[in-house]
Amino acid sequence: MSRFTKSFDTIGAVALAIVWIAPLVFAVWAAVHTTSDAVNFRLTSPWTLDNFRTAWDGAPWGKYFLNTFILVTIVLIGQFIVTTLAGYAFAQVQFPGKDFAFLLVLLQLFILPEVLIVENYAMVSRLGLFDSILGVGMPYMASAFGIFLMRQAFKSVPIELDEAARIEGCSRLGILLKVYVPLAKPTYLAYALVSVSTHWNNFLWPLIVTNSPDTRPLTVGLSIFGAPENGVDISIISAATVMSVAPLLIAFLIFQRQFVQAFLRAGIK
Amino acid sequence: MTRAFVTLDNIGKRWNGQLGVEGITLDIEEGEFVALLGPSGCGKSTTLRLLAGLEVPDEGQIIIDGTDVTGASAAKRNLSMVFQSYALFPHLSVAENVMFGMKVRRVPKKERLEKLHNALDITGLLGLEDRKPGELSGGQRQRVALARAIVAGQKLCLMDEPLSNLDAKLRAAVRKDIKKLQNDLGITIVYVTHDQTEAMSMADKVVLMKDGVIQQTGTPEQLYSEPATTFVAEFVGAPPMALIEGRALKGFKDDQTIGVRAERMQLVQAGQGRLACTVTDCEFLGAETFIGLEHPSANGLTVKLDGKAEMTIGSGVEITFADQDLHVFGPDGRRVQPENIPTVLEEE
Ligand SMILES: Nc1ncnc2c1ncn2[C@@H]1O[C@H](COP(=O)(O)OP(=O)(O)O)[C@@H](O)[C@H]1O
Ligand SMILES: [Mg+2]
Repeated sequence: MSRFTKSFDTIGAVALAIVWIAPLVFAVWAAVHTTSDAVNFRLTSPWTLDNFRTAWDGAPWGKYFLNTFILVTIVLIGQFIVTTLAGYAFAQVQFPGKDFAFLLVLLQLFILPEVLIVENYAMVSRLGLFDSILGVGMPYMASAFGIFLMRQAFKSVPIELDEAARIEGCSRLGILLKVYVPLAKPTYLAYALVSVSTHWNNFLWPLIVTNSPDTRPLTVGLSIFGAPENGVDISIISAATVMSVAPLLIAFLIFQRQFVQAFLRAGIK
Repeated sequence: MTRAFVTLDNIGKRWNGQLGVEGITLDIEEGEFVALLGPSGCGKSTTLRLLAGLEVPDEGQIIIDGTDVTGASAAKRNLSMVFQSYALFPHLSVAENVMFGMKVRRVPKKERLEKLHNALDITGLLGLEDRKPGELSGGQRQRVALARAIVAGQKLCLMDEPLSNLDAKLRAAVRKDIKKLQNDLGITIVYVTHDQTEAMSMADKVVLMKDGVIQQTGTPEQLYSEPATTFVAEFVGAPPMALIEGRALKGFKDDQTIGVRAERMQLVQAGQGRLACTVTDCEFLGAETFIGLEHPSANGLTVKLDGKAEMTIGSGVEITFADQDLHVFGPDGRRVQPENIPTVLEEE
């Protein structure tokens, strides 16, 4: 019986893994073969890098990569600052209306960002940030998920450490930076992973708010490049897609161990 | 009248109306070792934290070294503290933990390293500078906490049950170390403990508390030989003082309680004793044996005999004691001074 459930579990896991990875495998397969070889699944056909060359020449990818990189960095830095300060306030500072304010933050978790697109669009325009990388990143900086995560992490720091630092003469900001932040390192790492991969892949909002190749991130660039009127075929689109996700995939493969450990230690599963 | 180094004047602190501590009045001289003693939950830690500035009193005044610090932050009080859990920063090495406060206060690097070396030398931690707290034994962690308090170089050091996480053998050793350290550095220590042996053996002055109120303040001898209340009598000393209801003894009022120490009782022949009891247990400790006795109107009767003594459990014995060795407590549990002995003030 238990052997049966066990093998059933294994089969289920393998099946899910195959379904999950199939599109990626196909993209890689298509990217390194000519279009006809790819769609006809000729397994022995020769490999080629021509698709990558064609794709690379077809759009300002360097600029797109840079934009995406700047975008995820700005978002991450902004999120770290905002979630650290807000998380600390909700975890360790007493102020009137704290519970209500935290409730509002939690409510934000239940609202899909897409619902707010129109409002955000108006706000970003009013701030004069339309078609800028900062404008793409801005709405995500006060992340409710991040604030919640940091609050939990800071709450788990033993209060004696705070008190010991206070007796030593540490200021409040000093205690936050020297005691709370270092102790929440696994949470920061786990959160960074989630944030970077989300914003690397974010599409709808950047599509709306960017207007020029100077600000466009990879995802938007890729969709414009792959649009039917550009007449590119599946192999070239696949090559461009593989290029876009490669940095993220490589980073994950390299830091896989640390990431998994960070998630375990941060208590998010 | 000389001004005390630390003064707590009628301090009160309540938690949502519930009693924390009440009416705490205490003078501490410079260089003194003061133990706050009492059962768990009696308000020792609260008193210490009020003194440290980690809590704000609802009423009363705190003066440290001539300055009123009642509302001052912990940092402004010029004191160091050793926590029960040691409160070492787990992400910092031993050296960084010890130097934490000096870095905050921007002590120059050279001086910092000198003081670090000195403190690690005193506490026997040299060679462990780069270890993280997680890689140390309980005793070593305790020493790091001590070293951190030492380098702060403050005149007043507060300790909240610093030995309670150590095993018995280590505890005795560290007790000596702390006492020696205090002597060498000439610092004032306020030490919280629930262990009366610790308080009695280390302190110059013991403050015994119960339910947020000070029961008695005095030297260990005073607490031992002149307990102010039946609570003190039962808390201090091993074994604690036996308490006998007044009506069981001739010459005392019914509502009085009579206390007598184990070493002041003698076993006597049948018919010559003042109290007839039953033997309940026999505890041999090497140099002496404690015989536990039972009597319907007495509590904690124990007789101390030198060397090894054999008694049959359940057998009847009679005990006696001299009148001048008795402690008399009134119906409210407070000590009644016999008329012929001049009254001694509780606080010296
Ligand atoms: N932060 C707090 N909030 C509410 N009650 C507290 C707090 N700290 C202490 N108390 C209460 O005050 C009393 C004294 O506590 P404490 O000083 O820690 O005792 P001790 O250290 O002697 O064991 C206890 O009844 C405890 O429940
Ligand atoms: Mg305590």
